[in-house]
Amino acid sequence: MNVTGLAGRPGFMARNAVARSAVGPRSSLPVPRVSPFSTSTSLSCVNHKPGSANPSDSETNRPGSLADKYSAGLRQNKDWAANTARDHPDLFPTLATGQQPQILWLGCSDSRCPETSMLGLQPGDVFVHRNIANILHPGDLSSGAVIEYAVKHLRVKHVVVCGHTSCGGVAAAMGNKELGILDPWLLPLRQVRERNLPLLQSLSPEEAALKLVELNVREGLSVVTQKSAVLNAIQERGLQVHGLIYDVGSGVLRELDIQETEESLRARLVAFKTDN
Amino acid sequence: MHRYLRQSLDNIFKKNREWVSTKTSGDPGFFDKLAAGQSPDYLYIGCSDSRVPANEIMGLEAGEVFVHRNIANLVPNVDLNVMSVINYAVRHLHVKHIIVCGHYNCGGVKAAMTSADLGLLNPWLRNIRDVYRLHERELDSIPEEDKRYNRLIELNVIESCRNVIKTAAVQQSYEKNQYPIVHGFVFDLRDGLLRDLEVDFEAMLQDVKKIYCLSPSAKK
Repeated sequence: MNVTGLAGRPGFMARNAVARSAVGPRSSLPVPRVSPFSTSTSLSCVNHKPGSANPSDSETNRPGSLADKYSAGLRQNKDWAANTARDHPDLFPTLATGQQPQILWLGCSDSRCPETSMLGLQPGDVFVHRNIANILHPGDLSSGAVIEYAVKHLRVKHVVVCGHTSCGGVAAAMGNKELGILDPWLLPLRQVRERNLPLLQSLSPEEAALKLVELNVREGLSVVTQKSAVLNAIQERGLQVHGLIYDVGSGVLRELDIQETEESLRARLVAFKTDN
Repeated sequence: MHRYLRQSLDNIFKKNREWVSTKTSGDPGFFDKLAAGQSPDYLYIGCSDSRVPANEIMGLEAGEVFVHRNIANLVPNVDLNVMSVINYAVRHLHVKHIIVCGHYNCGGVKAAMTSADLGLLNPWLRNIRDVYRLHERELDSIPEEDKRYNRLIELNVIESCRNVIKTAAVQQSYEKNQYPIVHGFVFDLRDGLLRDLEVDFEAMLQDVKKIYCLSPSAKK
């Protein structure tokens, strides 16, 4: 693979400039307004010279070509801003009041799974945590803080756990190669693999990997719905949880049937719900 | 209540299909290429804030950027979650650039500047208080609270960059391949623009290595 500088990507920064009006002037809800920082914007991130091993860099990082892309981006931005304001007249005024996302997205870091794009949604719509193989560890502070903030403070209406086809983390957990620091992270996947070993071994490798993707989503939902903040929100204001699988080969989302029996729901509430 | 929530989700599947149509009408092979695998050049570590969607703010397509987002774009040294992401992105995907992206008006940073007890969020946000302590003199010298808040957001990005550089994966890959390069960005919600904090990667790497060097050959 060729090494390509950030600025060498076609219109990297320029495309950002095009996106400027998508996130027009506004302040955050839980945060008081702050005065503008600086209007000066550095468009170059070519302050690093990775070295002669990357011959493409000297070609692609020329400031001149970047400036041209930037000018083009600024021109396109005017059209884009007008189109967006016409198609979504409420977007900018709504965002100006702060962040009120309806959806918490717990998905995979995989570059092929851009949540806001694939949902056809806009900035301000989806609060996001993405990690390796969308794994939810019960004691993980990172995802725990995200879920706590989204459910209790932002009061999202939907929590989505989304897995996807061709997941590298799932493939790794279906194999037996030592991977250093990734091993403890992938451990929950191996636990699911162990619990479902006869089923997984009865399937072709492709079918087994896809099955583990699905089982991992169900496991993630189980961890999410063991959190008291989530259980309280389900009971008190109808918070919904969803399990999705994204097909990277078609772009289509599929919803899993995650109906729970009354009995298991009651057991969950008894075992995990706490009051303050 | 329930009917309203249901409608909201149906809308998402409709929009998902519209997105698929848009992509395939522009490039019929768009998803076939993605099905073949991912080889993103970028790892993006940013905030979970809904107003800062990674692909949109950088104008990047599906397949172009590997993404980790958490509260306040932190890279805590002992967080297995982010460390696994960095490890996978560098050692298995061979990303060329790692972007740590903060944003002004960050609720997490604001919370860390107040005296509130936020329960489960406390230990996570304490990392930001540590950033304040590391830069206490500079921050305390800024009289205006708004400007101090903005500067803490920038310093938090810079310290996250430093923590990325502390990893064995980044140090060893850079020594061998001259990549990845670590960058610090701040996104401004008011104009949608990304600002490069111009982290001097090589200088920061040398600085970090004095204590945190994990690449054996450098000790020769």
